[in-house]
Amino acid sequence: MGGGTIQLLPLAIVVGMFAVLILSGLRNRKRHATEYGFRGSYAGRIGIGAGIASNWMSAASFLGLAGMFYLKGYFAMSYVVGWTGGYVLLLVLIATQIRRFGKFTAPDFVGFRYESDGARTIAALISIVITVIYCVAQFRGIALMVSWLFNIDYIPAVALGTSLFVSFVVVSGLMGTARNQKLQYFILITTFILPLMFLTRKLGYFWILPQFGYGAAIGELQQQFGVNWSEPFADTTLFQWFALCFTMMFGTAGMPHVLSRFYMTPGIRDARWGVVWGLFFIALIYWSAPAYGVLARLIEARHNIPFNAGGNDAADMIVLSVAGLGGLPPWIVGLLAAGGMSAAFSATAGLLMTGSASFSYDIYPHLIRPGATESDKIYAAKGFFLLLAAIVMVLTFRPWGMIAEIAAFAFAVAGNTIFPAFLLGIWWPRTNATGVICGMLTGLVISISSLLFGSVVPAISTLFPLTSSALIGAPLVMIVMVAASYLSAPPSESVRLFLTRQVHDCPEE
Amino acid sequence: MSRPEPYAPGFFRPRGVAMKGEVRVIKLVLSGWFLAIVGFQLFSYLLEVNYSELLLEDLTFFNLPIQFWLSGQLLPLWFILLCALFNFWMDRHAIQSQEGSLRFRLNPDSGEDD
Repeated sequence: MGGGTIQLLPLAIVVGMFAVLILSGLRNRKRHATEYGFRGSYAGRIGIGAGIASNWMSAASFLGLAGMFYLKGYFAMSYVVGWTGGYVLLLVLIATQIRRFGKFTAPDFVGFRYESDGARTIAALISIVITVIYCVAQFRGIALMVSWLFNIDYIPAVALGTSLFVSFVVVSGLMGTARNQKLQYFILITTFILPLMFLTRKLGYFWILPQFGYGAAIGELQQQFGVNWSEPFADTTLFQWFALCFTMMFGTAGMPHVLSRFYMTPGIRDARWGVVWGLFFIALIYWSAPAYGVLARLIEARHNIPFNAGGNDAADMIVLSVAGLGGLPPWIVGLLAAGGMSAAFSATAGLLMTGSASFSYDIYPHLIRPGATESDKIYAAKGFFLLLAAIVMVLTFRPWGMIAEIAAFAFAVAGNTIFPAFLLGIWWPRTNATGVICGMLTGLVISISSLLFGSVVPAISTLFPLTSSALIGAPLVMIVMVAASYLSAPPSESVRLFLTRQVHDCPEE
Repeated sequence: MSRPEPYAPGFFRPRGVAMKGEVRVIKLVLSGWFLAIVGFQLFSYLLEVNYSELLLEDLTFFNLPIQFWLSGQLLPLWFILLCALFNFWMDRHAIQSQEGSLRFRLNPDSGEDD
């Protein structure tokens, strides 16, 4: 990967940033953790928003998105619209209501609403599948950065990155640190936007608001070098754009670790306003990400470097490499690396904790060891955490796409399974266990249908691409859920009463 | 002969003034959400198909090509605005329903009324 020696200054900045995070966590140390692992301080709506944003920001947002803009121009805007628009769906259709169920994990919700241990187990397995896929994207980001920092090849970098990540989680856990999410968001936003301002200034554009300043770079790229980077649908169709965009939206409203934020907030009104602040904080990053893509194309053109000469790995690292190519000092590149590592580590930790909670709380005591104590469940969660990390590491050795594409696959699975289960579970009272089980299984098949049947029936690859299957998939799953529910007995009276009184706050007839 | 199914409220059959109002505002927000996403893309697509030169060179906002500004800058801002409007409505609705009607909440610790 790297062509020189160890990047000492950037490495020191990365280490320093993690030290700051751990020390800050020690100051906020609180011993009220549950086995779910979603602890942290909530200070008002802005604090909740910072928590939502720092929980959301991952290697896909920090590194992968800019890489997609670099490679695909306007097509990558479907990620931006999808990952922000999904929060509207989440807020108005799901966030307010799921808190009233009083559950802690997505499988817990499914098991309670549909009164079925089978549905709960399937939801738990799906949550784990989503976790593993999404973590592969994060581990790829970690590995690429470790490869660059230590100047080692990709495969050893995956192993070293995994070791560093597990060590970080273990050390944080042993010291009892609580995540300081406001500080973490501050680090993310600073390390993403500050280098962009320096880069835009160095290139002679409007640097105070680089979110607009990059417009001149698009013009220069086109007029001086004939690169039509901004043309909307030059290489892709309108359907492909919408399919990816809506898949990201449905997936956002169905990602277990995103939903988990809303079970734990202290008040629903604060949680709702926290979404607004969180969306604003997320948008600050997404308003800036296209700039890295176009500036990379421009600098390459100025230096006569062939487009995408380094392949997908280099494209995923474009945020760091453009800073280097643009002549920024190593400490600024180090800031970017620190931000990227922080985003990937925190997203991976949150995801793996969600996955291990699904195992220890929803599968272990129900299927493996009935009557398990709380202590047993905590041990099971820790063991499964390590097992998941090992599985993800092995899968990351040979990733099947770029960071954003791998993440998009996880969103597609969530959009085809968890999202319809929650949406109909809240808003269509007739949905029952048979319906949700049939729906989630159909959603899983749809998510991988292009892999299973794409070579035999090419239309399936067109309609249900691996990264974008939920535009048609999620409505299909809902149709299956409705049909299967009508063909079987309605939910019990207690669920009907719960939905009426507790969830929708309606008077009885 | 099939037995009558119990009637529970849902998105298509809201019950009570409060839930009907909530569903109405959700429909309005989702309409604004959907129309903006689809409308901006269709606008960009039609401009590209019919007037690509005009689109790429002349239609800019703060130097940004119009499609980048609409989708990349304005849409996220629009989503934030929609969420804020929804919250304002929900806050007002919560106060009104607290004042005007009997509450059916069984769990007082749910945090709903904080």
